[in-house]
Amino acid sequence: MALLSRFLQAFALLFLVIAVSAEHTSNWAVLVSTSRFWFNYRHLANVLSLYRTVKRLGIPDSQIILMLPDDMACNPRNAFPGTVYSNADRAVDLYGDNIEVDYRGYEVTVENFIRLLTDRLDEDVPRSKRLGSDAGSNVLVYMTGHGGDQFLKFQDAEEIGAWDLADAFGQMWEKKRYHELLFMIDTCQANTMYTHFYSPNIVATGSSEIDQSSYSHHADNDVGVAVIDRWTYYVLEFLETQVTSVTSKLNLGDLFDSYDESKIHSQPGVRWDLFPGGEQEGRLRTVVDFFGNVQNVEVENANATEPGSLKEDLAEIARLVEKWQKRDEEYADVLSARNTTDDSPTASLHLKPKGRVGPTKMAEDGSWGKRLVGITVVGACTAIWIAGSVLGRKSV
Amino acid sequence: MALKSAIRNLRSNPHLLFVRLPKLLSLLCIVVGVAWLLLLPLNEYSRRTYISENALLPGQVHAYFTGSEQNIFRGYKKELQAILNDETKDKSEVTAGVSDKVQSIFEEAGLKFARQNYEYNSAGNTHEGENSYAIIHAPRGDATEAIVLVAPWLTADDKLNLNGVTLALTLARYFKRWSLWSKDIIFLITPDSKTGTQAWIDAYHDMHPASVQPLPLKSGALQGALVIEYPLEHRFQTLHIVYDGVNGQLPNLDLFNTAVSIAGGQMGIGANLQEMWNHDDSYEHRLQTMVRGMTKQGLGYATGAHSSFMPYHIDAITLQTKGEGWEDEMALGRTIESLCRSLNNLLEHLHQSFFFYLLMQSNRFVSIGTYLPSAMLLAGNFTIMAIALWMRTGYYPESKPVQSKGEKASAEKAKTSNIAERKLALPLSLVVGLHLLGLVPLWVFNNISHQYFTTITYVVLGVDIILPLSLAAILSNGLGLSKPLIPQQYHLIKSFSLLLLGLSLSTLATLNFSLSFIIGLLCTPLSFMARLQGPAPARLATSGLGLILLNLLSPPTVLLGVCWYTNVSVETVLTEAAFGWDVWGMWTQVVVWCVWWPAWLIGGVLLGSSIF
Repeated sequence: MALLSRFLQAFALLFLVIAVSAEHTSNWAVLVSTSRFWFNYRHLANVLSLYRTVKRLGIPDSQIILMLPDDMACNPRNAFPGTVYSNADRAVDLYGDNIEVDYRGYEVTVENFIRLLTDRLDEDVPRSKRLGSDAGSNVLVYMTGHGGDQFLKFQDAEEIGAWDLADAFGQMWEKKRYHELLFMIDTCQANTMYTHFYSPNIVATGSSEIDQSSYSHHADNDVGVAVIDRWTYYVLEFLETQVTSVTSKLNLGDLFDSYDESKIHSQPGVRWDLFPGGEQEGRLRTVVDFFGNVQNVEVENANATEPGSLKEDLAEIARLVEKWQKRDEEYADVLSARNTTDDSPTASLHLKPKGRVGPTKMAEDGSWGKRLVGITVVGACTAIWIAGSVLGRKSV
Repeated sequence: MALKSAIRNLRSNPHLLFVRLPKLLSLLCIVVGVAWLLLLPLNEYSRRTYISENALLPGQVHAYFTGSEQNIFRGYKKELQAILNDETKDKSEVTAGVSDKVQSIFEEAGLKFARQNYEYNSAGNTHEGENSYAIIHAPRGDATEAIVLVAPWLTADDKLNLNGVTLALTLARYFKRWSLWSKDIIFLITPDSKTGTQAWIDAYHDMHPASVQPLPLKSGALQGALVIEYPLEHRFQTLHIVYDGVNGQLPNLDLFNTAVSIAGGQMGIGANLQEMWNHDDSYEHRLQTMVRGMTKQGLGYATGAHSSFMPYHIDAITLQTKGEGWEDEMALGRTIESLCRSLNNLLEHLHQSFFFYLLMQSNRFVSIGTYLPSAMLLAGNFTIMAIALWMRTGYYPESKPVQSKGEKASAEKAKTSNIAERKLALPLSLVVGLHLLGLVPLWVFNNISHQYFTTITYVVLGVDIILPLSLAAILSNGLGLSKPLIPQQYHLIKSFSLLLLGLSLSTLATLNFSLSFIIGLLCTPLSFMARLQGPAPARLATSGLGLILLNLLSPPTVLLGVCWYTNVSVETVLTEAAFGWDVWGMWTQVVVWCVWWPAWLIGGVLLGSSIF
């Protein structure tokens, strides 16, 4: 067992070592709507549209954390039960039959969101509700709801502040829970939400400047509510029409350049300064680095010799194995020496290797007696059953 | 220095402090209070209306109530007309036939149907009728909330509302086929606009009197009610939105705004209020609208079938079709459909917007914070006077402060140091007694038969002339019953009376601003009533003239004057008032007979005492 745990530790160490490298090995997406109620239909549609896009680009449900505070599909006011649309043409049912909501209803709280990001969850929380990202993961965080200057409201009950979010990302970085992070937010005064971020490797973008509202794009006259927000609408338009496959070479620069203030009706913002290399480097990241799914395998440097490298660890393990074998041999020598002097039959048992201990056969004594008892019991039961059914028939 | 000496002067001159200054302050309160109200219609003091409740989303849905539904409407209307115009049947048979027809239509559409009989007695009249209603249960809702659509057979103006009832029946069939209702929808057909909804809503909340049957079928908490009135036989031009409730309670402003926004914005139908048909948004028209609203609010009667919902905190409005124009019953139907969809969107009871407001145009209003000071200032003028008189009675053994110059200093010293003892017993018992006396006309006017109302009004008018004078005679001469009153006691009587008046009116101002303002305005002369001094001929002439003027402002004279001006018989007004007391729970009479009338009587006594 000790050997096994050592090996595991060695592998864990391996992953940590490759934290700061250009390539990432997995993609995670955290998609959060923070508002409930029928008239906030659009916020849930925003998130579901993003959910559909990242799934299309290959991120599996197991790596998407979807937080929906309300169930628009089953709202009695919904003229199209069981569906959610983000466009008045109602071409795509976002709710479909292939959707996994990880946090629903009143589970969508600030506490749960921060615990999710920083992995401070109870042991009994299932994997589907955990962000399993590591130092090789690119994480997409998308949030939408009603917000203000440096806060975002969660469900009419509480709000998350810009500092809370910055600290959560800071902890994620310290705990090596992301490689690069793309933060997107669509709410009023959205750009204030990422002003306090301080941990590296984050690109942040929002829909509107301070003191600006973020507007809805259009309403569906049959659903009776606005179905999508403007910024999200145009981001999605780019993603759906330009980023057609996971092999797309379009980069974040292209995405952010596609922002058109005359269409969005607010000033979207982008923050590059936390990214190593700043805007120049950040713009080169492809969109699918965050929205798609990569299957890169990190091959460790086999020639590395510094402490913590695989070679070093394997050498250490080999030394340990050698040490234990040596100790075992010495022990056996001591025992055999004692055996020759004492000639005790019990002592030799100690020398038997554990692997040789086979399953013991159960004792056979009294097996006939037990069989007899069994037959008697079965016979008695049968007799009672027969007697009962005969008597029962009589009484009826 | 100048200020200091002014203050010193004021302190050393009690006459100025206790006699002149309160009068000036009172007058200022009255003038500012009235001017305040007159300023409200200006752009600077009123606000544009806006929808406060996010959930309402007015006019965001397409209304599909058109086309084939019109054929259904015509069919239902023909069927109902055939029964109504059947010459071979008498009235009760027609009523029963119509009721059965309504039931069969509702049941064919798949609604649960029930009836309720009721009977009210008031002022010797019997009002009886039968409500029929049907419920659409929300197919995917939880049946904890409901919206009510009311179609009375007779409108508030007592016209046959055949189109309105037919529209309700057509809408019931149409709504039943939608599956997007989050609340139950109740269709209520009442025989008239006065009694039916009251009986129904009382029974819905188990608050009904014994003469009203309980409801066999109920739903959840009512979130809003719309009354449909379409008594015309031609296409209409505008929608008249009636919103005043019993006792001046108003529905949430959001409901009114939603109706205006849907009618005007989505359907292109103009919306009017307070019978202002040609509102040009000028100052005069705004003021007129506001004053009409205040009059209705002040009188506190039910202006339509929707009014009865208000005491139960259910927001309700009546939509009346007016004028001759383009719009047909389908347009009204679509408006109601859209309104129902908006109400359906509600997540909680309407609460975001104002419950206390004065509307002066369909898109302009003032809220309580802006208008309340005007009624409060009017009420405050009485309180200021009362407090000043109370203080004065404590300092002044006499009411005449003018002395010759030489004596002045020593006299003043004596007065300020010599604190007078107040003789409270008689003033207190007189004020309390007269207020209790108010219960007599209150009881009489609410309990006698309607044919005596006119006579009794004239009797009260006579009492108003005789009672103050005889009381004044007894009080000033004693007439062997008591010692003549000293000036201090006159002041105390006035002080207590005005104190009560000021208290009642300022409390009332928060509940029914308009009533408080109207009563306050009619009572303003009472602040300045006092026992006059001076030489006999001038005093007699002034007090006689004053009494005549005062009598012109007495409750019965005002009633008669208003009736004469509006050309409505006194009997009708008082029958309606008694009906309001018995059925609607209207409180206006209490304010008139137990607040205004006693205060007026005491004013008369004070003025009358200067004759003797």
